[in-house]
Amino acid sequence: MRFEESRVGSVLVARALDGRIAADIAPRFKAELAEYITQGNRSIVLDLAGVTFIDSSGLGALVGSLKAMGKEGDFVLSGAKAAVAGVFRLTRMDKVFRMYETADDAVAALS
Amino acid sequence: MPATETNLANTPDWSHRLRMQLRNQFARHLENAKPDELFRAAAGILRPALVDGLLESSERFRGAGAKSVYYLSMEFLLGRSLSNNLQNLGLYKTMEKAFENLGLRLSDVLEAEPDAALGNGGLGRLAACYLDSLASLHMPGYGYGINYEYGLFRQEIEDGFQKEKPDFWASQHSPWLIEHLDQAVAIPLYGRIEHEKDRAGGYNPMWLDWQLLIGVPHDMPIVSQDGRTVNFLRLYSARASEEFDIGIFNSGDYVKAVEQKMRSETVSKVLYPSDAVASGKELRLIQEYFLVACAVRDIFGRFLSTESDAAELPSKVAIQLNDTHPALTVAELLRTLIDEHGMEWDKAWKITQAVCGYTNHTLMPEALEKWPVELFERVLPRHLQLIYEINRRFLDAVADRWPGDTGRLERMSLIEEGNQRMVRMAHLSIVGSHAVNGVAALHSELVKSDLVPDFHEFFPGRFGNKTNGVTPRRWLRHANPGLSGWITERIGYGWHRDLTELRALEEFAGEADSQREFLAIKRACKQRLAGLIVERTGVRVDPSALFDVQVKRIHEYKRQLLHVLGVIDEYFRLADDGIAPVAPRVHIFAGKAAPGYYMAKLIIKLINNVAAVVNRDLRVADSLKVVFLPDYKVSLAEIIIPGADLSEQISTAGTEASGTSNMKFALNGALTIGTLDGANVEMQEEVGAENMFIFGHTTEEVRALRAGGYHPRDWYTDNDRLRRVLDSLNGDRFCAGESGIFYPVHGSLINHDHYLHLADFDAYTAAQELAAATFTNSTAWSSKAILNVARMGKFSSDRSIQEYAREIWGIHAFPPALPPA
Repeated sequence: MRFEESRVGSVLVARALDGRIAADIAPRFKAELAEYITQGNRSIVLDLAGVTFIDSSGLGALVGSLKAMGKEGDFVLSGAKAAVAGVFRLTRMDKVFRMYETADDAVAALS
Repeated sequence: MPATETNLANTPDWSHRLRMQLRNQFARHLENAKPDELFRAAAGILRPALVDGLLESSERFRGAGAKSVYYLSMEFLLGRSLSNNLQNLGLYKTMEKAFENLGLRLSDVLEAEPDAALGNGGLGRLAACYLDSLASLHMPGYGYGINYEYGLFRQEIEDGFQKEKPDFWASQHSPWLIEHLDQAVAIPLYGRIEHEKDRAGGYNPMWLDWQLLIGVPHDMPIVSQDGRTVNFLRLYSARASEEFDIGIFNSGDYVKAVEQKMRSETVSKVLYPSDAVASGKELRLIQEYFLVACAVRDIFGRFLSTESDAAELPSKVAIQLNDTHPALTVAELLRTLIDEHGMEWDKAWKITQAVCGYTNHTLMPEALEKWPVELFERVLPRHLQLIYEINRRFLDAVADRWPGDTGRLERMSLIEEGNQRMVRMAHLSIVGSHAVNGVAALHSELVKSDLVPDFHEFFPGRFGNKTNGVTPRRWLRHANPGLSGWITERIGYGWHRDLTELRALEEFAGEADSQREFLAIKRACKQRLAGLIVERTGVRVDPSALFDVQVKRIHEYKRQLLHVLGVIDEYFRLADDGIAPVAPRVHIFAGKAAPGYYMAKLIIKLINNVAAVVNRDLRVADSLKVVFLPDYKVSLAEIIIPGADLSEQISTAGTEASGTSNMKFALNGALTIGTLDGANVEMQEEVGAENMFIFGHTTEEVRALRAGGYHPRDWYTDNDRLRRVLDSLNGDRFCAGESGIFYPVHGSLINHDHYLHLADFDAYTAAQELAAATFTNSTAWSSKAILNVARMGKFSSDRSIQEYAREIWGIHAFPPALPPA
């Protein structure tokens, strides 16, 4: 799983570079997100603008990360395309995650 | 109005087009073309006209802001399409001439088309008739089903036994299907619910760890009788999620990836045979969900392409559930509105009910679908959660109405308690629909009084009746062009648009010339059927004999067994007692038994064994013949039905929901021998008791007989004629070399006889004797037969669809503007 990272103040923006997040890369995806949290990041924006497909294992990794962050910080999503946003609605995960149109919107909300 | 050759027909040189189609599509010269390729070439030439019609009709309905109905059914028994499409497009004669110019016959080419046998019987054929009527009435109505690779099995008879063979109907290669890969939908299933809280701290169940199936739609064009409206039947094929497979492939487990792909594609592989065989099968539940989920997603997509507010759904969409098989629509629609459109429960529930209508097709409690809760929870965890909540709210309302009535709560619950808890799909369908209908007047009354009386008491305005109908395009104009011409010569073309105009034929019922011509047409149809019989069974039959026909699924309640008992009795009277025949008779059976239905398969064996004995007994010679035509299907019915004199509709009163073959036979001038069951009751009202041979216990009498303790052995003991017939099943007379094979039939009849064969035997044989006597008087017979045709107008599927449209769906006709004169 590849990310492009940037930092705006205390907010870490991790942009997913793989177009699909599925069973083959979900374990690494989850491990790398966990690593961000372990490193002490407490405001993380995961930008999904480049993601065209996410399956249930990818979603599971996201739920795991949200739980790992707990109430200690913010783990939010941005840029989900219609198909990906549809999967979030289908599973009702849109009601658990804070989701923003763009990474900038997410950063503004967390700053 | 006569069908006229369309502009397309004016295109020059159709023979040349056929040659070019063969060349371009198959790289063949005409001289080398196989029958299948000729059929495909002919179909290919029609495709542009079908596509034009599809696009024009869709734009017309969209432009009018029309509300549409979506008819969800696990079965569509379409049969062949080429002849139907040619006639509707006004191109039949053109194509016939084109083939003739090439030295070929169109009729031979039509025979090369495989039946699309995507159904078991009446329920699936009804769905096909309704699509035909929706198009012909210029209404926006679409079918949604599964593109099974293998339709209902092909039946072969080996040594009298039914053998099932796969029937590959070329789901991926049908020239009629238009694939829309771009409209494929992803369907989740399996997984688990994680009970989380949403951002505001409220309960938020999340559906995780699901697997994805892909549903790829294929559209079958459905052409109106005048060719001016083309609707579609959308059939979904299951494919593995490509993304998912890539994931496994990339992880290096090639075998696992291939297995996963095969498992996914199994979902649309095969149509389950009917009855209880499918219950409890995980794959069948997945099939039902697959259909529902694909359909709901597609319907929503269409709706949202013109509307933005999901609350407006009932103003644009009606969904009809053809039996309980698509009952999951209730839960899936609710889930979509709540989970994907953020709607609150009460509003979503009202919309769901306003959109859905449910047609019940069976009175037998054991045939009502139920699924184990454990299976449901594993396959559809989120849907089960929603069903629990529907049930909780519903039972609260029931408890408010009848405080302390726990028995009623148990009876009405969507969940059946017991060692294995079950989800009751009929209850889900009733609770989640604004309209529930039976399919004949008697049936609809019995649904209310016997099947689900508690629900009728709770929702008194929800239950209604929509008597089934059949399309006169396929079942009269296409199947019996001779009779169609005879009708038109007398009353003009108005009956093409309004079948009740057949009433005008009544004045010809007593006219000698009309009777003579009518009988000549019937004779020609019987000759054609006789040709089919000798080709398929090797038995020669005399077309002047009374053709006594029973063709339908083989089931104990339909009582093919009563017919066979009557045949054995007739045989003994002719052969053993030396009684002279009143009228020579050919008993014609056809129908498939569910592969796991032991008794039904034994009845087929009995018919064949009786036929083998009777047909070689020189004492009866041509006075009596018995044949079982293998592999009953729509295209076979189109030959059998016009050739029938007598139509056997002899189910135990109170068991057959409606029946539709009864209507097809009468419309083709056969007289009915039948019980007061299903739509026979309304046929009698229309046709007149004097023009049918009605016999047997009525529904009330059946109920009383059972309530008083029915002892079939007493009927056996007290009736010499009946006893001789039954005893023959215990001897070797019909099973030389297979001794004892029919003991189970004998034992079942004497000890249980749930369907009252013995109680109705005398009345049946008496009705048969009256039928034979009437048949000898050709004037009386033809008069009655013509009156049957004249009075069948009510049983057009156009009438049924107009009632559904007006009273349940709220949809309207949008005919195209006529071209300027």
